[in-house]
Amino acid sequence: MEAQLREAVRGSRADYTEVRWEEVFRSRVQFQRDQLLALEAGEERGGIVRALVRGAWGIAVFTDPAELPAKVREATELARTASAHVQDPVELSPVDPVEARYEGEMVRDFRGVPLEEKRKVAQGYNRAILSYSPKIVATSVRYTDTWRRVIYANSEGTYVEQGIPDVTMMLAAVARKNGDIQQAFESVGWAAGFEAVQNLEESAAVAAKRAVDLLAAKPLPGGHYTVILDPKLAGVFIHEAFGHICEADFLLRNEPLRRVLRIGNRFGVETLNVVDDGYIPGARGNAPYDDEGVPRRKVYLIQKGVLSGLMHSRATARKMGAEPTGNARAVSWEHEPIVRMRNTFIEPGDATFEEMLAGIEHGVYACAAFGGQTEFEQFTFSAAYGYEIVGGKIGPMVRDVVLTGNVFQTLRNIEMIGRDFQVEGSAGGCGKGAQAPLPVTDGAPHVRIRDVTVGGR
Amino acid sequence: MDILKLAGERVEEAEAYEERREGIAVRFHGGEIEKAASEAVVGRALRVIAGGRLGFASTAGGDERSLVQAAVAAAAHGDPAPFHFPTLRDGSKASVFDPEIPGTPVDELIAWGEEAVRVIREEFPGLVVNVSLSRGVTEVAVRNTAGGECRERRSYLSMGVEAEHVQEGDIWLVYASRIVRRKADLDREALLAELLRYLRWGRAIATPPTGTPPVLFTPTGTTVLLLPLMVGFSGLAVFLGTSPLKGRLGEHAFDRRLSIVDDGTIPFGPRSRAFDDEGLPTSRLPLVEDGVVRGFFYDLRAAALASAEPTGNGMKGSPLGGGGFRNPPAPAPRNIVIQPGEGDLDELIRDMNDGLIVVDVLGLGQGNVQSGAFSNNVGVGFAVKQGRVVGRVKNTMIAGNAYEVLKQGVLAIGGEAEWVHGTMHTPPLLVQGVGVVAR
Repeated sequence: MEAQLREAVRGSRADYTEVRWEEVFRSRVQFQRDQLLALEAGEERGGIVRALVRGAWGIAVFTDPAELPAKVREATELARTASAHVQDPVELSPVDPVEARYEGEMVRDFRGVPLEEKRKVAQGYNRAILSYSPKIVATSVRYTDTWRRVIYANSEGTYVEQGIPDVTMMLAAVARKNGDIQQAFESVGWAAGFEAVQNLEESAAVAAKRAVDLLAAKPLPGGHYTVILDPKLAGVFIHEAFGHICEADFLLRNEPLRRVLRIGNRFGVETLNVVDDGYIPGARGNAPYDDEGVPRRKVYLIQKGVLSGLMHSRATARKMGAEPTGNARAVSWEHEPIVRMRNTFIEPGDATFEEMLAGIEHGVYACAAFGGQTEFEQFTFSAAYGYEIVGGKIGPMVRDVVLTGNVFQTLRNIEMIGRDFQVEGSAGGCGKGAQAPLPVTDGAPHVRIRDVTVGGR
Repeated sequence: MDILKLAGERVEEAEAYEERREGIAVRFHGGEIEKAASEAVVGRALRVIAGGRLGFASTAGGDERSLVQAAVAAAAHGDPAPFHFPTLRDGSKASVFDPEIPGTPVDELIAWGEEAVRVIREEFPGLVVNVSLSRGVTEVAVRNTAGGECRERRSYLSMGVEAEHVQEGDIWLVYASRIVRRKADLDREALLAELLRYLRWGRAIATPPTGTPPVLFTPTGTTVLLLPLMVGFSGLAVFLGTSPLKGRLGEHAFDRRLSIVDDGTIPFGPRSRAFDDEGLPTSRLPLVEDGVVRGFFYDLRAAALASAEPTGNGMKGSPLGGGGFRNPPAPAPRNIVIQPGEGDLDELIRDMNDGLIVVDVLGLGQGNVQSGAFSNNVGVGFAVKQGRVVGRVKNTMIAGNAYEVLKQGVLAIGGEAEWVHGTMHTPPLLVQGVGVVAR
């Protein structure tokens, strides 16, 4: 497709044109209880043209490669139609054209692993969970791998070919006692080969044990607590609650929010540093170039408690007088790139876990996340499990720990940042608009926050 | 060569699924057009039974031979198929296609978007307004080696409008949307009226009631209570034992005023269709009648495992997202229809005296959905005092268990049902037994 892509962008009459063609190879194995619900391998090919005419985008998504020249004309025509309605035209921040070819590294290339072996590995974990206790009534064990080969060309002379691996394993257990159903999970997700999902027997047992333990855990009464987030939940928190509002497309046409998120505004304590890093070895947010052909970067979002940067596409960078950061990512050929995170984390601080526990009369140790959602400043997260903290010590396990609040207030309420640190490659992905799940990773140390609203019954 | 013939040389049974999507979309961001887009996508899937084992593969842009190869390879390590593909009949026709929709030009969508921006800004000039519009046609064909073919063209037209109020320390977002299959069904005026009503109610900020006040879920808000049911009525979840409704067929599990039907046959219903993604005719399936559990929904596999009849609910994707050719079919509802009771929204608000209205929540589906537990941040909600809306609430969480609330907590079922989220036709529900915590 290289020649066709170069030809197509060269021949375009739009002000700017890019074409992305993807070949995706994937496989999936899924067990629920004793049922093999999915075992499949497949490949797909598809492309997207994006054309800019007088400050408006036109886009055409297609699966027939022979249609490429026609799709360039179609996207150009759509852009022209839209441009008649534009008052604030889109412009692109200048970047140097690049020619690059890259393939992500795998110790053991999953494309060469027989489907049978993938099944066996998943089945082994599934058995381990099921046989852990008679109280385990169901499981969900899911293996996925994806090799995404992306070919990108634009009318400024950039041409990039990238092969990006992604492999995940989800290990979920469901325990039941009378009418009560509880679930727990462990998962991994890395830009790596098959090696990343082997030898997870211990994780399977941890998930099973926790689901059973949760049956005996009490729901936490709603109220306001001092909360210690474990690194997993703190990572989800910084991604969901703060990371998303630092995606500059959010702010592009939102003057009031831009005032809130002005560079230099204080958002937290002096020891708070938040980063989006384009490259951490093996992490899911990796790729040397984003889906606009812009090289990755390490961006400090918060440095010493002060907002110091945002994540940008070429269009947002231009509008906001910043530099593109390589954060324009698309989940697949069906979508245009939008501003997304890569590997987002809170840098470690200096507190030990014991120091964080000290002085908490009645609080919560909240661990991992079932899920979370944010709407601008408002966030809500479900911890996967938690423990009461009583008199500075970890107390009994609790469940139904749902944290909510205002992100700015909550960042200001961070009291202590742990010296431990963990990058979390999990099996989930990030969702934004219609684009999910995008491979990302989060990371954080333990974080202690005062006065957090915890929902409960 | 035809893919079923090609597959037939190597397997006992095969099923071919093909999906052709063609459409256009426009998006306005901050009141201004951001993009105009088109899509023309052909996706295919193949399920085979080879050596008695089930295999699945999907592709876009790939050739027949590789697709067959992938499905056969999957079957080699698959589990025994508990069912056979049935002979398909191109039976009753469903009303799911409106020729007016593919004829709708991009300029018209742009004009609707501009109109929405104008109407909202006339009354609320400071708001950031985002609009998404799309229209198109999905043609689906299902064929298998047992014979027969089902083919259908389904049109869709959707409009979503978002208004953001942004001030430091006070940001809130109101959203309203419609998804229809017939152009004449898109009531843009009603959509904007709904949005403006919430914006007017939200001019003032009010203190939420806490404890366990009466809570009125508007049609969009009822998803909090109905999402666990969409999971719990799945025949597969019942078979696997992850549904609390397991073994409770015929039992009075819900309030006697509650009747729920999963209906795939409603003319121009947003998820209506003549056949499901396995080619079985869709139906009208009672799930709850007068509070009694009457049925669960099944695809071919779940039905075979549970020794039940398939119900035409083999769907590629759940109602609230996902879907398409990449997924194998699984049990999922078509249109969930809640039988209305009495009284309009104003009457319900009057009757609740002091309470909370929930229109939209954050964190839908997070937590232990299977058990019915919900715990959500109220995204759009209003406080009611002495039967009158006094303003929107902030920093408010609701929590409870959907099964408990729908059994013991129903105070009233409203008389006016609406289509929401492109999948449910539901009236407002006034309930008690929901915990409310606020800062």
